[in-house]
Amino acid sequence: MTNQQELIRALEAIPWFQMMTQEHFAKILTIAKIFKFEAGQVIFHEGDKEDYLYVVLEGRVAIEMSVPGHGRIRILTAEPMEEVGWSSVTPVVRQRTAGARAVLPSRLVAFDANELRRMCDEDHDFGYFVMRRLVNVVAGRLLTGRLQLLDMFANPVEHKEE
Amino acid sequence: MAEIQISVGSTIALPKAALEKLVANLHRMGYQVLGPQIQDGAIVYKPLESAQVLPRGYTSQQDSAHYHLVYTGHQRYFDVTPGAQSWKQFFFPPQTELASYMREENGRWKIEERIIDQTPLALFGVFPCDLAAIQIQDRIFLREEWKDPFYWAHRQSAFILAVNCLHPCGTGFCASMGTGPKASSGFDLNLTELEDVFLVEIGSEGGRLVMEGLPILPTSAFWLQARQNSLDEASSKMGRSLPAPQDLPDLLLNNLDAQQWDDVARRCMSCSSCTQVCPTCFCWDARDSADLTGQTARRERLWDSCFNQDYSYIVGGNSRPNTRSRYRQWLTHKFASWYAQFGTSGCVGCGRCITWCPAKIDVTAEIRAIREEVQA
Amino acid sequence: MIPSIGLPHAISPAQPMQPYWAEITEIVHEAPGVSTYWLQFLDPDLREGFHFKAGQFNMVSVPGLGEAAISISSDMEDGHRIGHTIRSVGNVTSAISRMNVGDVLGVRGPFGSWWALDECVGKDIVIAAGGIGLPPIRPVLYYVLHHRQDFGKVIVLYGARTPNDLQFTSEYKSWQDADIEINVTVDRGDDAWQGRVGVVPILFYHTRVDPRNTVIMTCGPEIMIRFVIFEALARRVPPERILVSLERNMRCGLGSCGHCQLGPFFVCKDGPVFSFDKLQPYVNVEEF
Repeated sequence: MTNQQELIRALEAIPWFQMMTQEHFAKILTIAKIFKFEAGQVIFHEGDKEDYLYVVLEGRVAIEMSVPGHGRIRILTAEPMEEVGWSSVTPVVRQRTAGARAVLPSRLVAFDANELRRMCDEDHDFGYFVMRRLVNVVAGRLLTGRLQLLDMFANPVEHKEE
Repeated sequence: MAEIQISVGSTIALPKAALEKLVANLHRMGYQVLGPQIQDGAIVYKPLESAQVLPRGYTSQQDSAHYHLVYTGHQRYFDVTPGAQSWKQFFFPPQTELASYMREENGRWKIEERIIDQTPLALFGVFPCDLAAIQIQDRIFLREEWKDPFYWAHRQSAFILAVNCLHPCGTGFCASMGTGPKASSGFDLNLTELEDVFLVEIGSEGGRLVMEGLPILPTSAFWLQARQNSLDEASSKMGRSLPAPQDLPDLLLNNLDAQQWDDVARRCMSCSSCTQVCPTCFCWDARDSADLTGQTARRERLWDSCFNQDYSYIVGGNSRPNTRSRYRQWLTHKFASWYAQFGTSGCVGCGRCITWCPAKIDVTAEIRAIREEVQA
Repeated sequence: MIPSIGLPHAISPAQPMQPYWAEITEIVHEAPGVSTYWLQFLDPDLREGFHFKAGQFNMVSVPGLGEAAISISSDMEDGHRIGHTIRSVGNVTSAISRMNVGDVLGVRGPFGSWWALDECVGKDIVIAAGGIGLPPIRPVLYYVLHHRQDFGKVIVLYGARTPNDLQFTSEYKSWQDADIEINVTVDRGDDAWQGRVGVVPILFYHTRVDPRNTVIMTCGPEIMIRFVIFEALARRVPPERILVSLERNMRCGLGSCGHCQLGPFFVCKDGPVFSFDKLQPYVNVEEF
């Protein structure tokens, strides 16, 4: 059971929530819940319906993908104050493209994705604020993904003449 | 006959016939004399036994990818301008042994003591562009913190007999670079070849000593004027020019993305000829080798070139993986970065890179093209 | 300019390419393909106290095979033995990786510029390093350990390809005990890894940097360095206080052979440590 005080304190600690208007804060508070996970516990599986947008409050969450023949690969970890499952807010993708699992004992705040999308549709100011924040998150993830893709620490390859 | 005083800084005249004696004096003083001679249709620098083997009567015709020696039968010794070789091969040889190692009884390596050859060299017939190049290389190989022992071994005792250039080579632009056609300093003797005599400027005590016993004459106003006229005429007959070389650091380093780099990259073959003939290029590589038994090893220094593929290899790749980046490196180093590194331009305007580029790339034309592109 | 940091150093002004012999006294395995070779000079004067500054490198040679530029990764204040953390990538380093305690290597140095620690006094230091980029910075950490009160916050942001590739893990606790914050990440984790998975530049998101009083020191793959600089500039750290250690093809260490040039700089003598303001004109030019 989520305690209202606990919820308000948790949301106030998140930097981008501190920049919300009172009205928007009150709105988003209504769809927020706090979840606790033990180390190793699954938060959601790849393929699950997208139900929540999460923000990590404490602990560490790993984002994983299953690769046939290789098992579960840990792509990224999310630290306190980082988002998990941003794609639940964009209408296009219907299912989780990766799984999330708590690496350390973790506490997350979850926002009902359907409700959040509805609120963004109805109040465009609120929607713009939320989307702006999430675009930054996606940008950071994209950069990280690219740098990982470039495999910059790999053993040197034969140098090629262009 | 009145005794003519030769002093450092003075100019005297030497009858042409006495050139032979000058060479003999140098030999007698223990120098190995090196001078221009014709071999395989080109001028090379090699041991000079006497003035007789100088390329008297020849001129050279040079243009992009064109070099031709022509015998016209004139009586002058120093009309013909340099070929592909420069004097850097004597102070900075293409191949030098840096160290040789031997295994001791306990399996450890020992560096063998070696004596570096210290034969004093006399460079006979150094054109002003090449003289400037030697001074540029001095700044590279002789530093405050260390002296390259191989460069120093020959450089410290070298005698330089310079020759003013009265018949510009056609591809050179020394007047633009401020390095010619007249030699201004750094020589022991500097000759200007007139019809009957050489005017000889005494540049050092060593130069003065070599002139002893020679049938010198006092200069005359007539000869001095003739010298001036010849030099003025030479300055006006330069085949190429490079305006405002001091502006090139800004021009080149601020336009590293110019289209012209792509253009020249299409023509350049990365053959490295320009760096080999250039009298200031100094890049080298150390190569280690061991014999099959593993009992001896050696370290050699070899000329290298920024056009070589491996030159910019770094772990994980090549920081200059194509001709465009390598040509750009060479040109920007020579005409721009060199100022920051050594205080002068790296180019003396000798024109060799233009003569000897098989793709007919002309640095003055490339720079002009970049200027035009930037100003457009 | 070879810095005149006080004799003795292993460079002969008359024969600058001549190596001095040093014996391997200990080999510490750090990560797959990476070990630290602890050397002691055979020459008694050099053994007494070889002086170098944090960030400098030696040219380490194997007669008959070649020479490689290797950063010195040991404590500046302990001149009796010097450490080189070597990753086996080419002929020379592979040969060294097959050597044993008691074998002898040729050493010339120290060469290059250094991390300007005297200009960091009273300031915060953020070290952003990746992979084999941490060894050239380890001398800084030793210095901080000896003089902790001279500096403000000291934070290490460090990443490697996998948890196995993290360097000097056994030393992290002693650094943390000295009030040095360490944040580690890997490009790819495994199930046993409970730490962060991500890239070094992103670690800045969780680091509070006071741009008025912070020096950034960075070393690692050049692409990582580029994004570290990006993050540092985004946090308004002035370019003069972003220090970068670059790698180029260094063959002589003397600024003589020409291979390591980057524009007007010889990385072996004007670098390898540069303040970013000097590099700004060249760093975004492709293939320069």
